[in-house]
Amino acid sequence: MRRGITATALAAILALAATACGGDGESGNGGGKNGELSGTVTWWDTSTVGSEDKVFKKLAEGFTALHPKVKVNYVNVPFGDAQNKFKNAAQSGSGAPDVIRSEVAWTPEFADLGYLAPLDGTAALKDEKDFLPQAAASTKYDDKTYAVPQVIDSMGIFYNKKIFKEAGVQVPGTVAELKTVSKKIKDKTGKTGMYLRGDDAYWFLSFLYGEGGNLVDATSRTVTVDNAAGAKAMTVVKDLVDSGAAKTDATDGWENMQASFKDGEVAMIINGPWAVSDTYGGVQFKDKANLGIAPVPAGSVAQGAPQGGHNLAVYAGSKNLDASYAFTEYMTSAASQAEVAEQLSLLPTRTSVYDKPGVADNEIVGFFKPVVDKAIERPWIPETGSLFAPLVTEYTKVLTGQTTPDKGVGATGDAYRKLLKGWK
Amino acid sequence: MVTTAAPAPTATAPASANAVQPANPPLRGRRSPAASVALHATLVVASVIAVFPVLWVLLTSLKPASYATTTDFFKETTFENYTNLLRDTPFLTWFGNSLVIAGLTTLLGVFVAATTGYAVSRFRFPGKRGLMWTLLVTQMFPVAVLIVPIYNIMAGLGLLNRSAGLVITYLTIAVPFCAWMMKGFFDTIPREIDESGMVDGLTPFGTFYRLILPLAKPGLAVTAFYSFITAWGEVAYASAFMVGDENLTLAGGLQKFVNQYGAQWGPMTAASVLIAIPAALVFLFAQRHLVTGMSAGAVKG
Amino acid sequence: MAVHTSRSVASAPGGEPAPGRGSGSGTPAGAPRGTGGGLRRAVATHWYAWTMVAPVVVVIGVIIGYPLLRGIYLSLTDANERNVERNIGVNHLPATYKFVGLDNYADALTGSQFLATLGWTLVWTVSCVSVTFALGLALANILNRRIAGRSAYRMLLILPWAVPGFVSVFAWRFLYNEDRGFLNKLLAGGGIDAVPWLNDPTWAKFSVIAVNIWLGVPFMMVALLGGLQSIPGEMYEAAEMDGAGPWQRFRHITMPGLRPVSTTVILLSTIWTFNMFPVIFLLTRGGPGEATQILVTQAYKFSFEISPRDFAQSSTWGVLILVLLMLFAAVYRRVLRQQGDTW
Repeated sequence: MRRGITATALAAILALAATACGGDGESGNGGGKNGELSGTVTWWDTSTVGSEDKVFKKLAEGFTALHPKVKVNYVNVPFGDAQNKFKNAAQSGSGAPDVIRSEVAWTPEFADLGYLAPLDGTAALKDEKDFLPQAAASTKYDDKTYAVPQVIDSMGIFYNKKIFKEAGVQVPGTVAELKTVSKKIKDKTGKTGMYLRGDDAYWFLSFLYGEGGNLVDATSRTVTVDNAAGAKAMTVVKDLVDSGAAKTDATDGWENMQASFKDGEVAMIINGPWAVSDTYGGVQFKDKANLGIAPVPAGSVAQGAPQGGHNLAVYAGSKNLDASYAFTEYMTSAASQAEVAEQLSLLPTRTSVYDKPGVADNEIVGFFKPVVDKAIERPWIPETGSLFAPLVTEYTKVLTGQTTPDKGVGATGDAYRKLLKGWK
Repeated sequence: MVTTAAPAPTATAPASANAVQPANPPLRGRRSPAASVALHATLVVASVIAVFPVLWVLLTSLKPASYATTTDFFKETTFENYTNLLRDTPFLTWFGNSLVIAGLTTLLGVFVAATTGYAVSRFRFPGKRGLMWTLLVTQMFPVAVLIVPIYNIMAGLGLLNRSAGLVITYLTIAVPFCAWMMKGFFDTIPREIDESGMVDGLTPFGTFYRLILPLAKPGLAVTAFYSFITAWGEVAYASAFMVGDENLTLAGGLQKFVNQYGAQWGPMTAASVLIAIPAALVFLFAQRHLVTGMSAGAVKG
Repeated sequence: MAVHTSRSVASAPGGEPAPGRGSGSGTPAGAPRGTGGGLRRAVATHWYAWTMVAPVVVVIGVIIGYPLLRGIYLSLTDANERNVERNIGVNHLPATYKFVGLDNYADALTGSQFLATLGWTLVWTVSCVSVTFALGLALANILNRRIAGRSAYRMLLILPWAVPGFVSVFAWRFLYNEDRGFLNKLLAGGGIDAVPWLNDPTWAKFSVIAVNIWLGVPFMMVALLGGLQSIPGEMYEAAEMDGAGPWQRFRHITMPGLRPVSTTVILLSTIWTFNMFPVIFLLTRGGPGEATQILVTQAYKFSFEISPRDFAQSSTWGVLILVLLMLFAAVYRRVLRQQGDTW
């Protein structure tokens, strides 16, 4: 605990030093002595290869049109590798990018480790007030801003309208309804109601929130995953699988989920805006109108899906901070966000972008906006990203019958208390 | 897989085993027809199991991507996965990087393993026993724990994201086993040959290079095969050390196609087939020496 | 080939073929160490041997030796990602972890996680090595007979070895898929329910073992085939004349004849299987839950997948793995010696 604080303080001091250096450059810029940015900016993008990456690459390289002397080095790093690769590179002081697309939960962790440059007062932050407050929340750590929100997301039920019509059912609003709907679908069409990812605990969160639970409560510094609500949520998902309302896998969850939904073997999945382009590629959704999206089902207590998204952050050891700040600003500007929203249906983080033509009438954006507004924020503590590893192990164990819901959340809670020293 | 081309029977004994060749147990020609059928049946089943997973990937790569997960053997056979792979992805760059890295690893690995094996086989010198044990022990310490420290060493040497960094790392994996095996192999080469070299006034290096190496071909072939396969198929270091399309090797690059967050079966299966080709070529080149080289090495390991 | 005939000479008792030269003067015990004269003489005698092994020693010393020593050191501290030394551009964060003695080892050895993982690792290693050896031996025996199409069979059977591991593991995952995999479709054709190959803890264990055996048989087969071919045919002829049946010939000629090869390959494949990271990692990532997590994949998880990365615990497990394998090698060697082997 103590050591944690000192390390943080130290990081903050060093980060301040970094800002000071950056500040010099800024003033140079402002003075107009030699205002032109130059050099190379390396950006690690984590967007999906094959669909999203092309758009982001083109957008990133457009930066050169504004600053002809800056070369943008676009590098796509698979999302699953990026956190580890960045950590390896950042701690060793060589090989790290200037700018990284950081998942919301990574941001406070990277900041805590001292890897990110604080952005307050730099060119990276412009029109701060324009950002959705929940998107901006994940960029703050220790009263400083360490990143700029790029996209925001949440989750909903994706459903196959054709199957629903065949079975004569409506979109379930609650978990109880989900079970009856699934049963009807099974009886009428022989299809499975829902595919529930069993190998990634992120898909468990909406059920946890539905029972009124949460992973931790940061304000009272309490681990809450193993309270009654947590155990109930675990029982709920286990029951969904056992009763045949949903099927699941312990491996290859993403592939199996997408494949079985796209081929029309299951009627529903829970997913986010990032999955829309892939889903449209399926046989069942050649007619895009066949894809319906609805809010995640409510539990016995509440309704809510986790809020996610991506930020852009600048590496504290970047050799080209000024250009990196400018690049970050460019990529998160209203114009860039509008282009991304139009082409990829990803949700902007700037309020103003939602009113732009091309974004305002985007159906997917239109659906997810209210979901995002109601989405549940995770506590933005450095450990947020670390909470999934213990949970997913126990989540899979529960679903595959290796442990009971009670024991599962109990073990998760124990792991959390080890991680969050001094928490209740 | 077109593997019916009969290899030269160097390693296996010629069919008419004569007394000079320590060959197969004789008298096997008198096998009953039933036994013959049983043997062939066993071999066919085993071969099918050995080949099927790879064959399945080959068949899948010839189906349109949307049918990748169907179980028909053939469905609308097409090469579009291959053309897409070569046209739209940096596959060829990754392929080239892998070739360079695996090639260098093989060359250096063979050379280093041969000299080490020779020294250990022929000379008694202080540190020899320790060296042999060290070679064994290096195989015992898990890769997983080494990645971060080696990463930092490579960062310190400026070798991150460079072929040299991976080559050096792969040498540490391939050379210990290869040196062990080469030692065993050199042990089977009569020492009189060395002595004749000395008599002719050759230095130990000259003896090694001019007289012994040419005799050690089977051992060198196995060493080359092993080094190549090790470097060609390694994943953990490759994906930790390299970043960016222009630097990635195949192992790292392919993770872009199939990972926890998505699967593109089309390019993945096509790439898998293309990747297997160089490995198969090296294998073809080495395979007639494989049995001889391995046994000699392993016998005395 | 001269190679085979000389084998028996090379493996003559003593193990060490008579050294070409310098055998008398160069032994370290004989030369007074540390004195300049002794050292110079040692260098003069051994410089070529040392030169020949130098590249290996340097590379291994730097790339394995340093991390190994550092690993041992870290296992005695509470180092993790947040307190180790970090270089962030011009900023340098010094290390703040502290020495904790043997606490990590005590935790590992008294906690249930290490022992449970070790238990499964042993099951995994023993079943993989024994089945691989048995299959390799059977196939080598068949291939050592005169049989039509032998080279073709041999080529096909070695194939799994020639395919890069990540490709074949990917192929297996494809086959194992519960809903769309080929294996379950095949079973469905026979009216058998889908098997949860990678989704059920017990089946997942079976599945990872099967893949590792599939990968390991070619190496084993090739090595044993070489061993079989070095057994002189006359021995079989003589035995047959004495009226020995096939089983007796196998038992009394083949097995002893294979001993030198098999002791080596069993040792090597035990070490490799114990530390077989890619198969488990690429097939199940240790799941479902932690059902197929072996010691190495768990050590990897500590230093990579959890955060903050726990370098101390990861190193502790790494050192324990090393110690276990060294103990195994030492015991193995001793047992072989007692049985009269000269390995």
